[in-house]
Amino acid sequence: MSITHHPGEELLLSYASGATSEAAALLVASHLALCAWCRADVRRAEVAGGTLLAAVLPVSLNERAYQAVLSRLDAPSAAIVRSANLASAIPAPLQAYIGADYDALPWRHVAGGISHLPIRTGGAMRARLIRAEPGSGVFEHTHRGEEWTLVLTGSYSDATGRYAAGDVQTTTPDVSHEPTANPGPVCINLAVTDAPLRFKGFLPNLLARFHGF
Amino acid sequence: MAYAAALSEPWSFRPARTVKVHVGLPARNLLMDPAEAARMNALVVAVGRARDRAAFKTLFDHFAPRVKGYLMRLGTANSVAEDLAQEAMLTLWRKAALFDPAKASASTWIFTIARNLRIDAIRRERRPELDPHEPALQPEAERQADETMDWSKAEVRLRAALADLPREQAQIIELSFLSEKPHSIIAIELGLPLGTVKSRIRLAMARLRTALGDTS
Repeated sequence: MSITHHPGEELLLSYASGATSEAAALLVASHLALCAWCRADVRRAEVAGGTLLAAVLPVSLNERAYQAVLSRLDAPSAAIVRSANLASAIPAPLQAYIGADYDALPWRHVAGGISHLPIRTGGAMRARLIRAEPGSGVFEHTHRGEEWTLVLTGSYSDATGRYAAGDVQTTTPDVSHEPTANPGPVCINLAVTDAPLRFKGFLPNLLARFHGF
Repeated sequence: MAYAAALSEPWSFRPARTVKVHVGLPARNLLMDPAEAARMNALVVAVGRARDRAAFKTLFDHFAPRVKGYLMRLGTANSVAEDLAQEAMLTLWRKAALFDPAKASASTWIFTIARNLRIDAIRRERRPELDPHEPALQPEAERQADETMDWSKAEVRLRAALADLPREQAQIIELSFLSEKPHSIIAIELGLPLGTVKSRIRLAMARLRTALGDTS
């Protein structure tokens, strides 16, 4: 797999610092499962976090804090479970939300070869899976805010280029695009938005509102 | 300095008196003594291998007040920061067996624990993360040298590079970790276009990359 489109340093730094909301963190973590390059960037940023943690002004804990922690050391704690199915093509962080099988998901049909599935996350941003049969496209739309799309399977193209598995496309409010799935395997994407999309035309907008895009 | 000027700008995001522009950590604070860092790593390993309570006490005395300080810098109330700092130390005790000094130093590892506890407790959100103990979903050949290198040595070089960052880059990195603000708000408060903040982040991250000899 050769990934040519990355989330960008700003998003990686926000992820490392803990500032990204859950939906964006899910997208970054899923990309990291596929991209050693960005994984290294995040690790370097976390070293910056550790260095700053060590350098901040320490604030004393209350005098009984150590005793309080000591008394809890032997209490049983939940076992650390690793549940990811490594045989699945779904990145491990995403499996925690949707399981290990794309075909078993309750896809909701939108129109043409397009279906989607909202993913429940906390925070202000919204995450959803978009599934596009080869040749099918999403109506032309612009964004009220930023949108990030991580390609999980297959590939799609729009006027800005071609996006294949592992790639992240970042679209800003000024970009209007009409992504279309390329021939080959079904294209499944994880899309994260911080505001609803804005489609061109009455019908697409009605559909979009119905599906909560 | 640009951010000092921003304080008096009428279009600052908030009234100047409430704009908290960081005081700035002296660069020398970032240069942890490598021997001290190695000692902390060994203490976490001792907790993981032997449930060593004396080692845990030393780690507690060193890190708990720093975790609390970090959380309070991010605006967490004293009592909540107190609870979370205790919780972080408890997590250290429970997960110490998973700590690998070849992958991260104690301070980096504890930073990630504190960060995640805070997201969980304050924002009530989950933290999707790649489990470093799970093999990545890709062939070995595609892994980078970064993954197999000894990070305890790499961190010494990274900290030197951090202390050496140009002031305006260091400031953005520091605000990224020590303020609960998105970069768009940081940009407004500093009176800078968002593009400038983003390009400073890119430059800073590139310097950290080259500090490890990774220029690809």
